[in-house]
Amino acid sequence: MKHTFVLLALLATAFSMLGCTSAPPATTQLPAATQPAVVTISTQPTTAPATEAAVPSKEGGTLLVAITSDPGHFNPSITTGFTTHVVADSMFNGLVGLDENLQPIPDLADEWQVSNDGKTYTFHLHPGIMWHDGTPFTSADVKFSFENILLKFHSRTAAGLTPVLDKIETPDANTVVFHFQVPYGPLLQRLDVTEAPILPQHIYQGTDPQKADANLKPVGTGPFKFVEYAKGDHVTLEKNATYFKKGMPRLDKVIFKVIPDANAALQALQKGEVDYSWATNESQMKTLQGSPGITTAKAAASPGGSFCINTFAFNLEHPPLDKVQVRQAINHAIDRQRIQNQIHFGFGKVATGPISSRMSWFYNPNVTKYDFDVEKAKQLLDQAGVKPGADGARLKLVFPHPTTFNKYGELIREQLGAVGIQVQDAPMDFNAATDRVFVKRDFDLAIVSFCNGPDPEIGVRRVYDSRNIKPIPFSNGAAYKNPRIDELFDKGALTIGNEQRAPSYLEIQDILTKDLPYLWFIETEGTRAHRSEFHDFQNWTGHFAEYAWTDNPK
Amino acid sequence: MSPSLTRYMFRRLAQVLPILLGILAVNFVLIHLAPGDPIYLLAGDSGDAAYYAAMRAKYGLDQPIVNQFVLYLWNAAQGQFGYSFAYTRPVFEVIGARVPPTLLLMGSSLVLSISIGLWLGAVAARRANSSVDHVISVGTLIGYGMPAFWLAQLLVLVFAVRLGWFPIQGMVDLRAAYQGAPLVLDILHHLFLPMLTLTLLHLALVTRLTRTGIRQEQGEDYVRTARAKGLAENQVQQRHAFRNALLPVVTTVGLQIGMLFMGAVLVEIIFAWPGLGRLLYDATLNRDYPLLMGIFLSVSLCVIFANLVTDVIYTFLDPRVKFT
Repeated sequence: MKHTFVLLALLATAFSMLGCTSAPPATTQLPAATQPAVVTISTQPTTAPATEAAVPSKEGGTLLVAITSDPGHFNPSITTGFTTHVVADSMFNGLVGLDENLQPIPDLADEWQVSNDGKTYTFHLHPGIMWHDGTPFTSADVKFSFENILLKFHSRTAAGLTPVLDKIETPDANTVVFHFQVPYGPLLQRLDVTEAPILPQHIYQGTDPQKADANLKPVGTGPFKFVEYAKGDHVTLEKNATYFKKGMPRLDKVIFKVIPDANAALQALQKGEVDYSWATNESQMKTLQGSPGITTAKAAASPGGSFCINTFAFNLEHPPLDKVQVRQAINHAIDRQRIQNQIHFGFGKVATGPISSRMSWFYNPNVTKYDFDVEKAKQLLDQAGVKPGADGARLKLVFPHPTTFNKYGELIREQLGAVGIQVQDAPMDFNAATDRVFVKRDFDLAIVSFCNGPDPEIGVRRVYDSRNIKPIPFSNGAAYKNPRIDELFDKGALTIGNEQRAPSYLEIQDILTKDLPYLWFIETEGTRAHRSEFHDFQNWTGHFAEYAWTDNPK
Repeated sequence: MSPSLTRYMFRRLAQVLPILLGILAVNFVLIHLAPGDPIYLLAGDSGDAAYYAAMRAKYGLDQPIVNQFVLYLWNAAQGQFGYSFAYTRPVFEVIGARVPPTLLLMGSSLVLSISIGLWLGAVAARRANSSVDHVISVGTLIGYGMPAFWLAQLLVLVFAVRLGWFPIQGMVDLRAAYQGAPLVLDILHHLFLPMLTLTLLHLALVTRLTRTGIRQEQGEDYVRTARAKGLAENQVQQRHAFRNALLPVVTTVGLQIGMLFMGAVLVEIIFAWPGLGRLLYDATLNRDYPLLMGIFLSVSLCVIFANLVTDVIYTFLDPRVKFT
């Protein structure tokens, strides 16, 4: 008996001790392109990216990929989680893909048209595509995937499309038509393999997609086929010899190996135990850049989020944070350049506002900027009436954050301390921090990696729209209310064509950088590393190995 | 089996059910009290309230905690332990796949740390206060005092990265894809460093207990009697002193099973060993309630079983202890 209670105590301790550092998969998505307002017909052929040199690619070989967490299952349509997508995306396709600049390119659909009123999208599917089990792929699979799975279980697709989508029609086996209730601008941005992977109707019909056996024995249309899953250890995929993209894939096998510890993954890559790493962090990139036989790469997107900005939320319900001078003062007190250098090792870019500069078609460079200026910060605090108290502190702010942001915690405590703001920083695991900030609202300052997604409608609106002040994660945590902002987001979504949509988003950035309900630190970027004998990875997407090849196929 | 032993076992087994119920209740409350929410895993980061509410309802997370617990017990009584949120599969299917690697890692470390610990302890006791004794004591204490993650990293750096004798991570060489006997050798090759880490962590305790136990017993009357009978020193030590000194070791090792499992969590993470410890870690981060409950239940059962075995072994070692 006694022994049992000892165990209980241990488990209880374990529970509290296991505060950890898994990086939150944030918004995932890849953008779509400048869509002309009227009828658009894409006629781009499906082409491989230009090879790095004039060296002809080789066929065959095995790629060993380090991933940080066990994928659990391979149904990419019921989750937005990075751990499932990073493996499963190679086995599936979306209607459209996204190129390096996150512009739409053909995937399952060869071409598409948008009606003049922006309410109807028609997709023409590539003919002759087969599922891995040999069954022909048809438009019925697309309709089924959206209606029965994506619109119910893929959180971003469900949230984004359900309110606006009218119906999906399949006039013939190779045509899919999306009808919207309103003109809908961002559709092409949300149809790639991460946002809307297409599943086989003949396998999933009549099952609960969240418990289906096929989740562990996936059948897709993608470049690689499922072979084996050793839970917690590895997943083996092999080449889909009948893949519809001519000559692809080139590799015979891709094996994903779960290596949870970042150092172990780094050492395994250096020693050649693995060939490609999704687990490389910024500090390791410096080490790897000098390593012989290793190639490093950066990417603004991944199946775990695109165009992400590390962002401070001010709790506007907690005075004096409701005063704009106080928020301006904090903006002046933060040395973003030092954060980029010391925390991100120079990677990424200092952010200027809520929309990433890499979403160049909507980015506004001419916004109000706040230079690092300690004296100005103190003046602004004086003006706001926030004067030093008996202990020298002007203000005490509680800053709960996930342990992944521990270094931010330290630097911010120091930098705000210099202007008399005492920061009580409280590190906790990601899940607990999310709960405390968004649900319990027990914070003054909070930090979140908000990913724009490929479109502001997907990842930006939720953070600033006053109708999204709710006790749910990744909502408008600052509790910022501005009817003009809400109106501009509505306008941006209901307009067709990026050029026509841009003015709304430019104005949004102008207003937000004056109101400062949030503070934008750094536009972060994804870091990848791989053995140099491998080439032509698409580092920004879950289809990263679709075109990859190696010098030494065994 | 003697009738008294049978009766004893029966009574002990009858206690298992109420103990398990208690464990389930405490754990259930514990994981629901801990801050956090599985909804972040289930519903992603869309920031859409209606969607979160729908997922909560689908998984019964909108019910009061008492209802959730009663429902859990009701289903558990029928052998239904639910589906893991992260794996979308029945809980024990997920756990089952992770048990063999952990058993291999923990079992081999346990055997090693006990056998080496007993031997070192006996050597240290016999040559108490000699330089050998000091080396053993200090050496094992250093192993005991080192944080698991640090010791593991050190061993990797020296034996895997520098010397290249062992692989850095994993349980098998995925490139080679061995079968049969070479596969067994490959697994042992991968097992060595994580096993060594866990063994070093637990060696000190067994060594210390054995040494102290033997030293204590050496002063007892029966040892003097044995010597007076003219028994050889080896026999005095092994037959008499050592056997009695084992008693506290057996008790402690039984208790240590839970500790060993906690150590295995860290070691499994660092060496990318696909075991139960890492599953517990991931399930905790995700607040994967059904899976957490399943793991707690499995580990509790193991510990209860280990304690039962400990008690039975104890009665064999010490005839003074009787089953009642």
